[in-house]
Amino acid sequence: MREASKPARPFSLERGYARTGYGMLAPALIVIALVTLFPILYSIWMSFNKVALTSSGIHYHFNGLANYGLIFQYGPFWYSLIFTVLYAIITVAVELVLGMLLALVMNYPIRGRGVAMAIMLIPWSLITVISAEMWGYIYNGTYGLLDYLFIHLGLTSQNIVWLGHPNLAIMSIMVADVWKTTPFVALILLAGLQLISPDLYEAAAIDGATSWTIFWKITVPLLTNSLLLSVLFRMLQAFGLFDLPFVLTGGGPGTSTRSIAMLVWDVMFRDFQFGPGAGIAVLTVLVTTVMAVVFIRSFGSDLIGGGKKS
Amino acid sequence: MTTKPAAAVQTRSSKTNFRQRTAFLRYLVVIVACLLIIFPFYWMVITSLKQPASIGSWPPKLWGFHVTWSSYAQDFIHYTFGNYIFNSVLVAVVSTILILILGSLAGYAIARLPIRGKPFLLIATLVISLFPEIAVVSPLYVIFRQLHWLNSYQALIIPYTAFNLPFAIWIMNNYFLGIPKELEESARMDGASTGTILIKIILPLAVPGMFTAGIFSFVAAWTEFLMALTFNSQNTMRTIPVGIALFGSQFTIPYGNIFSASVVAVVPIIVLVLVFQRWVVSGLTAGAVKG
Repeated sequence: MREASKPARPFSLERGYARTGYGMLAPALIVIALVTLFPILYSIWMSFNKVALTSSGIHYHFNGLANYGLIFQYGPFWYSLIFTVLYAIITVAVELVLGMLLALVMNYPIRGRGVAMAIMLIPWSLITVISAEMWGYIYNGTYGLLDYLFIHLGLTSQNIVWLGHPNLAIMSIMVADVWKTTPFVALILLAGLQLISPDLYEAAAIDGATSWTIFWKITVPLLTNSLLLSVLFRMLQAFGLFDLPFVLTGGGPGTSTRSIAMLVWDVMFRDFQFGPGAGIAVLTVLVTTVMAVVFIRSFGSDLIGGGKKS
Repeated sequence: MTTKPAAAVQTRSSKTNFRQRTAFLRYLVVIVACLLIIFPFYWMVITSLKQPASIGSWPPKLWGFHVTWSSYAQDFIHYTFGNYIFNSVLVAVVSTILILILGSLAGYAIARLPIRGKPFLLIATLVISLFPEIAVVSPLYVIFRQLHWLNSYQALIIPYTAFNLPFAIWIMNNYFLGIPKELEESARMDGASTGTILIKIILPLAVPGMFTAGIFSFVAAWTEFLMALTFNSQNTMRTIPVGIALFGSQFTIPYGNIFSASVVAVVPIIVLVLVFQRWVVSGLTAGAVKG
């Protein structure tokens, strides 16, 4: 009605709303840009410089690609990169399988589900440093509970120093990670499962489909969004691995559990090599961006479609 | 004719047998999972109550030991744990409040107002917030050093706000979309401004969304370690995770102190999460629905 009597007004109103909209959005976007995009650009610039931190300030001396040359010839860089990528893939895969199992089981109307869900939220809310200390005590090579268990069960006759051997240390960190994150993955998947109509399962069961077929033909396709979300979240998160090895192993024994984040930290805050440190940080951003872009390119229609539907 | 019902009965009973067995397996899986989750906590709590001498005893004692609160007392007297709690609470509370204010505004703008590139904004900010912190820690360290912001509250409050904002925007956007548009339209007809509509009509309805966004932001700030370690390493400015990680020396690990401090840090947050469980789960569902 109003449109008919005053044709110009809705247009200006619309523009006014858009202006209000951008005004409301701006503070959030500025904060996000200042703390994420700006530092990343700053990092890129730093990585092309020789950086000297002195008490009078910071001095930059442009040296082109020299830092990257150093990084690519630096064996520990390649080790940390490969370690972190493999770590992310393996832990996320294990978490998905275990989380899916838990979610499927809990999707049935079982008694005490509320209590189980509450318990499963606890590791998520736990400070990672605390869970690392907890596991460090359990893994302890002289009085650790895990050794006691292994000796008690007759699996070994003498104490195993879990964090003292590279492969054992890597596995120990993975177990601590899986312990902390699997319940959360399970809850995300469970939330997705509960959106699938039970009618679909009944119809499939009447048609004589086996549980296995139902799982792959109904559950997985309808769960795509939750699955994608958890995989992307967890991969990126696992790639930033820092707290667990920092507390549990300090990156050791040797440098066998030094993640890429720990390497950057060591290079910058132990060796004070800010140029090369920034370079590795930039490469980390590059790897993460590639991971995210490939992911969104492959499955983007689902992700962005989900946003549009809303 | 007479055998047929018998056969039917038999298959039915074998079917219920199978059902019972799978039901039993389901409970077994859930119970084992819950025990595996809880046990390390039990171990942590009882270790925090042991005397220092019996913490490193072999075989480890799961029960039947002398209970003492001396580790707890030491945390606050010998180590300045009270200080760490204060720092953590301040940083987490302030950043959560900032996130809720900025996130509600942005979420509402994206949900309701004519802005271009909405899906892109949502996805791009969310992906950026998932970047490994280490990518920004080094440049931020240099910037904060220049600003003389190292060992300050804003050095943590601002990054925590920025990193957790995108998820809050996402959640708030979803909540605003769920509120019937007619409510606002009728208010607009009555000549209410966007600000009035937001405060008087929308916000009260969006409170559950704010609980969800708030609890996720609070937990993220409460548990963050890398930035707190890098920017606020000075003892008086440490947060709980940094304080606990740097307890003790190179040669001894004071597990009694570490675990008593951990229990103090963990119990309130567990209570908080359990009280707000409904909203945490609805946050997970929001993620699941919207992908």
